[in-house]
Amino acid sequence: MADRNRSYKADKMVELLAPKLTRQVVGSLLGCVHCGMCNEACHYVLTHPDDPKMTPSYKADQLRKIFKRHFDWTGRVFPRWVNAYPPVTDEDLEELKDIAFGTCTNCRRCTFNCPMGVDTATLNRIMRGLLTRVGVMPEGVRVVSKDTWEIGNQMGVLDEDYIETLEWISEELVDQVGGDEQAAIPVDKLDAEVVYTINPREAKYDPRTINNAALIFYAADENWTMPSWGWDQTNFGLFSGDDAMGAASWKHLEEKFKELRGKRLVISECGHGYRSTRCEGPNWSGTDQDFVMESSVVTMIRYIREGRIKVDKSKNSIPVTFHDSCNNARSCGFYEEPRELLNLVASDFREMHPNRTENYCCTGGGGAMSMSEYTPRRLKSARVKADQIAATGAKIVVTSCHNCVDGLTDVIRHYKLDCKVAQLVDLVAGALVLEECAVIRKKAAAKPEPGLPLQGRKILVVDDEDDARVFISTVLADAGATIIEATDGDQAIELAGKEKPDLITLDISMPGKDGVEVFRELRGSPDTAAMSICVVTGHPEFREVIYAAHAEKPDGYMNKPVSPEDLVTGVHRILELRDKKE
Amino acid sequence: MEQAGPSGLLHVAEAVHWTALTIMVLVYTIRLFWLFRFKAGRDRQRPGERYGDTSLYPALYSMANVGMPWVMESTRKNIPFYLSFVVFHIGVAAGIFFAIVGSAYRPFVEIPVVTYVLMVLIGAAFVVAVGRVIRRFARPVLRLISTPDDYFSLITLMIWFGVGVAAAAYTAGLLKGEGYWVAYLFATSFFLIYVPFSKISHYLYYPFTRYWIGRTLGHRGSMPPAIARG
Repeated sequence: MADRNRSYKADKMVELLAPKLTRQVVGSLLGCVHCGMCNEACHYVLTHPDDPKMTPSYKADQLRKIFKRHFDWTGRVFPRWVNAYPPVTDEDLEELKDIAFGTCTNCRRCTFNCPMGVDTATLNRIMRGLLTRVGVMPEGVRVVSKDTWEIGNQMGVLDEDYIETLEWISEELVDQVGGDEQAAIPVDKLDAEVVYTINPREAKYDPRTINNAALIFYAADENWTMPSWGWDQTNFGLFSGDDAMGAASWKHLEEKFKELRGKRLVISECGHGYRSTRCEGPNWSGTDQDFVMESSVVTMIRYIREGRIKVDKSKNSIPVTFHDSCNNARSCGFYEEPRELLNLVASDFREMHPNRTENYCCTGGGGAMSMSEYTPRRLKSARVKADQIAATGAKIVVTSCHNCVDGLTDVIRHYKLDCKVAQLVDLVAGALVLEECAVIRKKAAAKPEPGLPLQGRKILVVDDEDDARVFISTVLADAGATIIEATDGDQAIELAGKEKPDLITLDISMPGKDGVEVFRELRGSPDTAAMSICVVTGHPEFREVIYAAHAEKPDGYMNKPVSPEDLVTGVHRILELRDKKE
Repeated sequence: MEQAGPSGLLHVAEAVHWTALTIMVLVYTIRLFWLFRFKAGRDRQRPGERYGDTSLYPALYSMANVGMPWVMESTRKNIPFYLSFVVFHIGVAAGIFFAIVGSAYRPFVEIPVVTYVLMVLIGAAFVVAVGRVIRRFARPVLRLISTPDDYFSLITLMIWFGVGVAAAAYTAGLLKGEGYWVAYLFATSFFLIYVPFSKISHYLYYPFTRYWIGRTLGHRGSMPPAIARG
């Protein structure tokens, strides 16, 4: 039913509302009894006590009026009876814009305080979406939406800038870990266990968080990658109410993830990004979720639990408190995991009150940071948050959300609080005990320990004289070798075939089968022909006999007495040469 | 020709009452069909990490919210208001019970204990209703969001409670004149017809809105809510 004087845009909004009316939405539109219970749940109400228009039900009523006038029985027949006065002029729409974008951060605190289960935040988001679709939105929303559609991420970070940023972060990180190239960020690696996606704010303003995340992946020896595009896990569609844009942004992520054949999509610490990617994206795009997604907080907890990274909480001893992101806590039930992680990496954690589902918004949510025209009102509404933070006495406010980082930083600056903001990834990176992490342990296991040059080598010491045999065995064992001993020629041949040592030290003058015969037999057998043999003898005159033998020459030769250093160095060199030859 | 006296009027009132009840049931049925014509939203994402719950529990918890004032900050911090809500709605239930049972099987509501309990419950609700009317007029926030229907529904309910107390007093023998009871039945009939078109029909939607919000948030992992602690 169209009002004769209604503007085209206002008319269009009615048309656009119809497909958004699910049973859940209609239930919320019908359910409000105007009891006012939501009133004190809202930080705008608490800080603007003289302005009744801040009350959540008033904001939701703006959409309710359209619904009642055009879809509900009573409103269609008796509109005045239920205040079913929908917007008529473009000026009305401008007023609605200020209400929907400028007096609500869609934090959902009112939803959880409504006895009727009315989801006022969702109604406000729908109103935003209708306005956005007819071109009525704050300038900041317009700019960000344009960047999202045209460039593929909400901050307009160009592909080449993003890649360049990852490259210099990689260079710095490689330097940071002592030149290990494994620390470089892999881009577009196929079949990785983890595909890590970020908030464009990280690439543009805060690359430290990418660096810290990369350090943690390196420390955990993770098989991971970052996509060259489709890397923006945030989604301005959540804020603007534009489901089509929300679906498109989510599709970027999904398509790239599948192209890379990743096992697990990991979402960096961002409240609205987590909600959009993890919860709403599949709904907006009409796609059933068919792959694993998780917050990086969960990933980090897993690494600690599995012993892949080692952390020392005493490295973060400054008092910290935790701010629950609205989207994480109220819309995703994600509030215990960050606390679990925080308790593992910080030694003085103090709860903020209220917390979890009942925490107050940072006041930068719902896209508020991009709407500068509402900044004075936003900062005034932040007094509640400032009081909460100040009461903790903490010096660091930790949060798992980039929006909250910006919002809280503004609050701290405006209210002159003596603290700063950090994210969990920063604290985890700061608490790392790198030398005890998986990557270092693996490298250590793969190469001999410094000072033990024969670590992992098996050596057969053949000598009939006890003193000489014990001396050689002891020196080589102290150098890390595993020793097998033989006291005569037959035993030497038997053990060589059975134990397959890396090297044999062979005495020449022995009773029974002497060293020359043993040497010939070893060289003559296919099983032992290639074995490294170092002759160690007190009879240099026999050297000629050995070298005259029609067989592969010995790999080394030493005269008794031999110093421990020469013995170890000689054996080590023989084995190194053999390794290189292989 | 029989003269129309109080008994004749009572007969008419009772007939109107049952007719109104039938209309209400019919309109409610149509209302629910209308509500269910809208498409159901569907969660396509997997349940939330660790706490996500696809069972009925979050939805049932959400529906039971009305009896758990401690789970919502708005009720936990405002227990007097919550208690007034309880008294008000018990009064509504008592009033409906009084009208229906009083029409169908009057001897039951004439049992002194029953009569006095009903009178107290409806009387308490009347007091709360007076307070609510004053509150709605006095608070700027409520004036801003209130519609004519909000005022009308509340004031007429207050009057209905008042008439209900008088009808109970008549039933208890404290007041003389069948007119109190007749007036109560007519007032109830009016409500039975008016309610499906007014905000008072919120109780029809309550189970559905609470079920849906509980199911949606439960799937994500945020229902039941995490009350502040630590």
